[in-house]
Amino acid sequence: MAKPDFRVNDLRVNIDGKEILKGLNLHIQGGEIHAIMGPNGTGKSTLASALMGHPHYEVTGGSATLDGEDLLEMSVDERARAGLFLAMQYPAEVPGVSNANFIRQALNARLGEGNELPVLKFHRMLQEKMKALSIDPEFAERYLNEGFSGGEKKRNEILQMSMLEPRIAILDEIDSGLDIDALKIVANGVNSLRSENIGFLIITHYQRLLNYIKPDYVHVMMQGRIVRSGDATLAEELEAKGYDWLKAELGIEDETVGVEA
Amino acid sequence: MTELNTLSGQVHRVSSALGEPEWLLALREEAWKRFVEMPQPWIEKTDLSKRTWDTGTFSTDVEKVPQEVQAYVDGIEHSYALFVDGLLVDLKLTDEAKAAGVVYQTIHEGARLNGAVWRKHFGTVVATDESKWAALNAGLFVGGVFLHVPRNVQIEAPFETVYVWTGKEFGSYPRSLVVAEELSDIQYVETTFSSARDVKVASSHVLEVVAMPSSRVHVAAADEWHKGPTYFLTRRAKVEKDADVRWTVGDTSDGFGVETIENVLQGSGATGLIRVVGLGYGREHFELTASMKHVGRNTESEIVMHAALRDRANTIYRSRTEIVKGAVGAGSEQHDRMIMIDGTARADAIPMLLIDENDVNRCGHAASVGKIDPTQIYYLMSRGIPYAQAMKMIIWGYLSDSVDALPTAGVRDLVVERIERELGR
Ligand SMILES: Nc1ncnc2c1ncn2[C@@H]1O[C@H](COP(=O)(O)OP(=O)(O)OP(=O)(O)O)[C@@H](O)[C@H]1O
Ligand SMILES: [Mg+2]
Repeated sequence: MAKPDFRVNDLRVNIDGKEILKGLNLHIQGGEIHAIMGPNGTGKSTLASALMGHPHYEVTGGSATLDGEDLLEMSVDERARAGLFLAMQYPAEVPGVSNANFIRQALNARLGEGNELPVLKFHRMLQEKMKALSIDPEFAERYLNEGFSGGEKKRNEILQMSMLEPRIAILDEIDSGLDIDALKIVANGVNSLRSENIGFLIITHYQRLLNYIKPDYVHVMMQGRIVRSGDATLAEELEAKGYDWLKAELGIEDETVGVEA
Repeated sequence: MTELNTLSGQVHRVSSALGEPEWLLALREEAWKRFVEMPQPWIEKTDLSKRTWDTGTFSTDVEKVPQEVQAYVDGIEHSYALFVDGLLVDLKLTDEAKAAGVVYQTIHEGARLNGAVWRKHFGTVVATDESKWAALNAGLFVGGVFLHVPRNVQIEAPFETVYVWTGKEFGSYPRSLVVAEELSDIQYVETTFSSARDVKVASSHVLEVVAMPSSRVHVAAADEWHKGPTYFLTRRAKVEKDADVRWTVGDTSDGFGVETIENVLQGSGATGLIRVVGLGYGREHFELTASMKHVGRNTESEIVMHAALRDRANTIYRSRTEIVKGAVGAGSEQHDRMIMIDGTARADAIPMLLIDENDVNRCGHAASVGKIDPTQIYYLMSRGIPYAQAMKMIIWGYLSDSVDALPTAGVRDLVVERIERELGR
């Protein structure tokens, strides 16, 4: 299979009638890691949710394609089966549905009818991946995210990602709430998936994650669009100096999406 | 009064068809009189004004056992009784139960062959005059079992009464009496197969359970009430000292019904659990009261109800805890959760606490009614799971614990199949 090719063109998104994304462009190919940084409230999660197809977000313009297929035409589950994955900033809790059952149904849906993984093989694979992420084996039978700590939820997102092997993975603040050991484990999980067959979009506030996951590109979002792109050194610069210099350079006073540029 | 005359004819018809002794006919006639005299009952959330009290005409013609039911019964390896429209078709008692001295026969045989025990307990748990429909049942009961478990007999394999209600126009009036003597331990199951009936009648089902000191009884039911008749269901256990009665009821209905499931925790140290799992659909109207009446000292109870509703179903689940004066040290918990799958469905979860005693150990209740959380659906779909499957997974997440509590694989499979049928369309 050709390596993934993910394109976002002039994407515009409204929430409750208010424009949040105001023309965003992005091109990610397999093997690449892109990081998106930016102050609070600048539209980073909105981008992630709109790409995944969260019903609350209304796309009013632009396009998003994966391997040439129009993502915006697809339902949420179709996007996932096409190879898009979003590790959420705040994953939902689903009591009564076991983690293992959930992941198995998801994996089988992704593999398609007739290609389902045999149960035993699935459980072996699950336990292996859980071990690699230092997740206690009992979490397989725990209800999905119910009562998980913040860090456990994040690790569980990475577990799902490594089971589902998406073509494009968007990680929304996967590092928030993680202690340094957990951060390394999660970064390891991401790095072990790195290949030509997957492209990453990593949303983060902190350079410390990028110390472990070296990005090829770093983008800064303000006011609902990407205002600056560079390589890994851009993240280091932001970490050292904050955002003010960039705002000054761009002539931006309020970086949130509330104001018109 | 023509109603009394014409219908009291039914009482004679039933009694003579069953070859009953004089005393039983007298009991029926007295009950019938009470039924006719009692005023139209008022039920908080159920409008009976457009429902009939007609009963239809009793007949002794036995309809064929539907294939689905025969297949189900063929799979039963424990003791069972099969009734079609209240008429006994088949009854099997295991050697184990026979050897232990268990009596399992029709309620009618029970009256004839075990009159002493029968008369001692009949009507002591569900009194003839406690409601108009209880009186109706006592006047007209046809079908049901008399299960008598001797002292110190513990049998794990359940006794299962299977009811088939066909399209016949006569109402359904089964009545069962379970007497568990001291230290006994049993499971009793009622499984219902009914077809939608284009008949306007009032049906009334009664189950009385007497759990003597230190006995343990698990009562389970797989119910399915379809539209047509008005179904009144009264299921109650009297729980004596240190005895325990547990109920697990799986209900998948689109009919019109009013049900009470109750434990009267009579003796000190008596305990009980009522678990209901329901899936309402179509134009169901169902008002269910799960009730725990604490009378003895240091009694404990728990009520757990879960329902999911489709279409235009309207379901009212009331969990009621009553602690009477003198029932010191009582503990009780209620959990009640209902989900409306379709926007057209209606659910009411009503917790009731009636407490007349100051010395209460613990009394907790939680009730909630809601829709499926869209963020849960979104989350599951974001991993590639299609909407319909995501919805089913979330609903099963609510219901599966209670379904798992049903006592046999056969009943569990039946209830799972019925729920799947309604979720999957
Ligand atoms: N339901 C909503 N109605 C109105 N505005 C909303 C809604 N949800 C989000 N917003 C606004 O959209 C803007 C972008 O939010 P978003 O969550 O995308 O920011 P973010 O860049 O991810 O911020 P953070 O770094 O804090 O996670 C914010 O100003 C937020 O208040
Ligand atoms: Mg965010």
